[in-house]
Amino acid sequence: MSLKSQPTAFELAAKPLSDAEIIALNVMWNRLISVSEEQANALLRVAFGAIVRESGDLSAGVFDAEGRMMTQAVTGTPGHVNTMARSVNAMLEKVPAATLVEGDVLVTNDPWLGAGHVFDFVVVTPVFLGSRIVAYLASTCHIVDIGGLGWSAEGRSVQEEGVLFPVMKLRKAGVVNEDFINIVVANSRVAREARGDIISLMSCNDEGLRRLLDLMAEYRIDSLQPLADFIFARSAAATREAIDLLPEGVYQSEVELDGYDSPIRLQAKMTIGGGVIEVDLDGSSPLAPRGINCPLGYSQAYASFGIKVAVAPHVPNNHASLEAIRITAPPGLIVSAERPAPVTARHVVGQALPDLMLGCLSQARPGQILAESAGALWVLAISGQETGPQAPAFASLNVALGGMGARPGSDGLSTTAFPSGVGAVSVEVAESVAPLLYEHKEFAPDSGGAGHWRGGLGQDIRVRALKDQPLTVSAAAFERLRMGAAGREGGLSGQPGAASITNGQVIDSKGLYIVPPGEALVLRTPGGGGFGAPQSRDPALVARDLARAMISESAARDLYGQKDR
Amino acid sequence: MTRLAIDIGGTFTDVVLEHGGQISSHKLLTTPAAPEVAALEGSAWLVADCGLSLSDVQTVIHGTTLATNALIERRGAKTALVTTEGFRDVLEMAYEKRFEQYDTDLQLPQPLVPRELRFTLRERLTAEGQVLAAPDRAETLALAQRLKDAGVEAVAVGFLHATVDPRHELQVRDWLAELLDPKVTICLSSEVSPEIREYERFSTTVANAYVRPLMAHYLRRFDTRLRARGFDGQFMLMLSGGGLTTLDQAAKTPIRLVESGPAGGVALGARVARELSEDRLLAFDMGGTTAKICFLEEAIPATTRRFEVARAWRDIKGSGLPVRVPTTELVEIGAGGGSIARRDALGRLAVGPKSAGSVPGPACYNLGGTLPTITDSNVVLGKLRPEGFAGGKLTLLPDLAHQAVARNVAEPLGMSSVEWAAAGVLEIGEEAMANAARVHAIEQGKDVTRYALMASGGAGPLHAVRIAEKLGISRVIIPTSAGVGSAVGFLSAPVAYEVARSLILAMERLDLGQVTRLQAGMREEASAVVLPALGAGEEVSYTWAAELRYAGQGHALRVGLAAPLADATDLAALEARFVAQYLETYGTTLDGNPIEMVALSLICSGPAVESLAVTEAATAHPAVVTARAEVFDPVCGARVDAAVLPRRALQPGAFHAGPALVTEAQTTTWVPGGWDLSLHALGHVILDRGSRQ
Repeated sequence: MSLKSQPTAFELAAKPLSDAEIIALNVMWNRLISVSEEQANALLRVAFGAIVRESGDLSAGVFDAEGRMMTQAVTGTPGHVNTMARSVNAMLEKVPAATLVEGDVLVTNDPWLGAGHVFDFVVVTPVFLGSRIVAYLASTCHIVDIGGLGWSAEGRSVQEEGVLFPVMKLRKAGVVNEDFINIVVANSRVAREARGDIISLMSCNDEGLRRLLDLMAEYRIDSLQPLADFIFARSAAATREAIDLLPEGVYQSEVELDGYDSPIRLQAKMTIGGGVIEVDLDGSSPLAPRGINCPLGYSQAYASFGIKVAVAPHVPNNHASLEAIRITAPPGLIVSAERPAPVTARHVVGQALPDLMLGCLSQARPGQILAESAGALWVLAISGQETGPQAPAFASLNVALGGMGARPGSDGLSTTAFPSGVGAVSVEVAESVAPLLYEHKEFAPDSGGAGHWRGGLGQDIRVRALKDQPLTVSAAAFERLRMGAAGREGGLSGQPGAASITNGQVIDSKGLYIVPPGEALVLRTPGGGGFGAPQSRDPALVARDLARAMISESAARDLYGQKDR
Repeated sequence: MTRLAIDIGGTFTDVVLEHGGQISSHKLLTTPAAPEVAALEGSAWLVADCGLSLSDVQTVIHGTTLATNALIERRGAKTALVTTEGFRDVLEMAYEKRFEQYDTDLQLPQPLVPRELRFTLRERLTAEGQVLAAPDRAETLALAQRLKDAGVEAVAVGFLHATVDPRHELQVRDWLAELLDPKVTICLSSEVSPEIREYERFSTTVANAYVRPLMAHYLRRFDTRLRARGFDGQFMLMLSGGGLTTLDQAAKTPIRLVESGPAGGVALGARVARELSEDRLLAFDMGGTTAKICFLEEAIPATTRRFEVARAWRDIKGSGLPVRVPTTELVEIGAGGGSIARRDALGRLAVGPKSAGSVPGPACYNLGGTLPTITDSNVVLGKLRPEGFAGGKLTLLPDLAHQAVARNVAEPLGMSSVEWAAAGVLEIGEEAMANAARVHAIEQGKDVTRYALMASGGAGPLHAVRIAEKLGISRVIIPTSAGVGSAVGFLSAPVAYEVARSLILAMERLDLGQVTRLQAGMREEASAVVLPALGAGEEVSYTWAAELRYAGQGHALRVGLAAPLADATDLAALEARFVAQYLETYGTTLDGNPIEMVALSLICSGPAVESLAVTEAATAHPAVVTARAEVFDPVCGARVDAAVLPRRALQPGAFHAGPALVTEAQTTTWVPGGWDLSLHALGHVILDRGSRQ
């Protein structure tokens, strides 16, 4: 195509685009998205840790020479998706671009530069064309263990939560920094896996780098800036167009959570106008004493995700589309935790923010916004102590998912996370990697909020040690044990969750609990909120739910007004 | 040898007869209510046209989308699932995740068995196969009565860890069979898909049970009617994995038929690869709504056991029902001749996945469609001639194509030229297809530039060269009978059956005794399927592979084995090959991390079908040009003068330099400047990138 004869640099602002240039830019944009997607897919295939994979708890993106995100792979976790957009520049502030040479790779797991807790490693690779940096490739992956307390909200400061690496070089001019790797290996309880994941992060960036250079060679361009400008201009315009469809105004909303051991409040004031959405989280609760605090970057990631799904789901994530959504909070709140606050289970707060945003937006767009969902992922971190040669120590990780809120046109999805995109590990796989026995895992009847559209159901889970071995369970993320997910437009709340041990112990804080030998952990995850008045639900759907035992006879009668048959 | 291939697709039924080394074909409309009607009619016509009768045919090979359609349209049997107590909802919980991050309205596929037909029994094995609770006869018989009362036609039995030990499933089947009508189908997860991960295994088993009554009935009816018309040979079925099997076996596991049509296209690739000695071939098929690609090494297609059918939400990956049976590994792209081009909300030029289909069709068909498609863009650029389209059944109207592209692409995107807009539509579509191939190659650690590209399907040959250019491929092959490629492919597929077993264990803890027993069982199972389908004296070959990964990873690499694993030396060699393959695929190795086995697989196959031999070398001579056309070429931004070469008029050895169009009844090949065309002795059109660029 005539693209081969294009000038080496487009002058987009100076003259209108030629037909050939329009096509070339469209094709290159698609190709760049593919570079990111493939970078993430490669990482997904080699990542260690079942839950990291199942959840797509990783991310990858291409950034321009100024560190602005051009494209990004859509993976499972908005927490990575949007934090990484800011990571590159935040890291370049510590290690300036001018000091980088070809073959260098930067790395950090600083919660305030990366994805909000020490488990997430961000790896950034500069792309050189000659002596010039023309782009950066970044990727993020959750590493299963990096020392400290491991998966637990018990830390009183970030220092207790794991080893924190400031921005440093993972590779210097092509030579891997073994000192860094050795520190990781020395501290992680799963040293080989941690080392494998970090090496994979680096090699998936290298693969992306090769593909990016191929792209530039094929189109004979020596700068990505014209393409970046094209992407940003189109994305900014589309985002603005979407925001302009909303009525201007100020909308307020709040959400109450269980907190570590006492309730916390999240509060938002959303101002829509002038093509911009500004959200102030002032009024939210102060810092918690344990690790459910959220750095502002992570709060911004989830809050802007919540806005995007409702306002501009079709606009891809990049520097320009994220710029129109501005999330702020005064420092020192639970949504804007500062160093050295403990932050391991920051998703308990972060994953509640989309519901908070949707609460504001439901006033701007009444009747069109889904009800609240179960929210935070219940991370099921179970470890066993060694009790003999037949029962060695182990640690396992899974998630227990609640229901999604009912949508304006359909029931909520049962046992499906929102806002997270994480899925559960198969029982057969979970039982083959750890000596656990799942005795039960089925929908929890009546757990979804009643409504014209019913909230998604939570589930009942019963799990115990297969061997004669006490288990330690972290309840760090067992949220919504007190407050159910609120309904919308007259829909009722979903049932709150419940957690206990068969010896009678009730789990009611986010601490660590012991399941003695012979006993089982019993969980019921929260259901999603309902949408619209339950009395208006189609009687045929009520009858269907009853036949399927997804609601009880009393719910059919008392909540939905089903007549005796 | 006289053989007949019948490919029943959604729209067309293709019949191909091979007789005395000659291939004849016939295409007619599918009769959806009773698909065998058109197939029988077409077969009888074609056989008669060749001066034969059905009694002269030794083998009929059949491939069909019927099972797939039954799953999409939910026309299967009333099916129940019997599963482990406490796990009633595995089928409906699915992966417990959203397949699309930003779409809060998405719908998950409805399970084939609704909750009221999912029953549980008290029984339990551990992951290591230890019995914690054995099924109870009285409880099972009581359940059988409930199944009877509910009037179920098919029962799937799926217990946790049944792949480690199937005894509970076998026991429950026997007890259920005591009470249930013999007509009720019972399928076991340990037989249909003996692999770990309960959701995928149950989903596969349920899908098999769901379509089995329908498929078994259909296949038997078809067979009976063929025989009533004098056929007295062997009736074989094309499997998704690329091999053939008997009617009895197909009726037992019809879920293995779901992708038989595309598998035929890939089998054609295998045949062409053998005939032309292409060690590395990229098979590319493009029809009206989708394009499919598959890599073949030494004429052997890549296969996989991960597949999904009946996507429920905007054809998005993850919205379908997972099926874990062997299938040829196809990458599907939502781009076909009917794919619609538009300006998306971001002001980008987007093509597909929405297709105008045959109704209302592309704008140039003048059948009611007004939106611009890939086909319309080809008409605007002069690559598709208005006359002679679809065998002359349809005359295309270039003005309508021009208007549609102008109105919906050029104007909204601010482009001054309609031809450039049409070129942009093709460029976006071709880039999507090239990129799918590129990504797939990278994922597999393959160097795509070393492959030849074989194009088939009505739209494939129009786009093949541009896709090859994008991939750095320098040879393109348009095989004979490209328009009925799948059916031709059936004729070249061997009798074959693939079996797989999960075996998740660190290499260092692998018990050779267990491996040997497993391999023996696999060999026995596959042989029992393949041997009865073979003629006397036909040899059987066994192809073994192991799937490995570093312990803790999720994705395994398939490593070929020269022979079944027998001793510690074999294991060490296997590990070394895994590490080498990992390096090739991911560019790194993780020395010190333990390696684990995930699964073993075995393909048992009969002899390969003999390729046609080239009897004499063709004499090179220039092709005779009878007509010329003006085709827009974006390389120079203007129309160029291209030769029009009817394929029927080309003789073996004919050559010509692009730009040129090769026209035939079912497709058109575009040969741009810089590419040289020649006709192979076996009739294949070969396009080579010339020295001039």
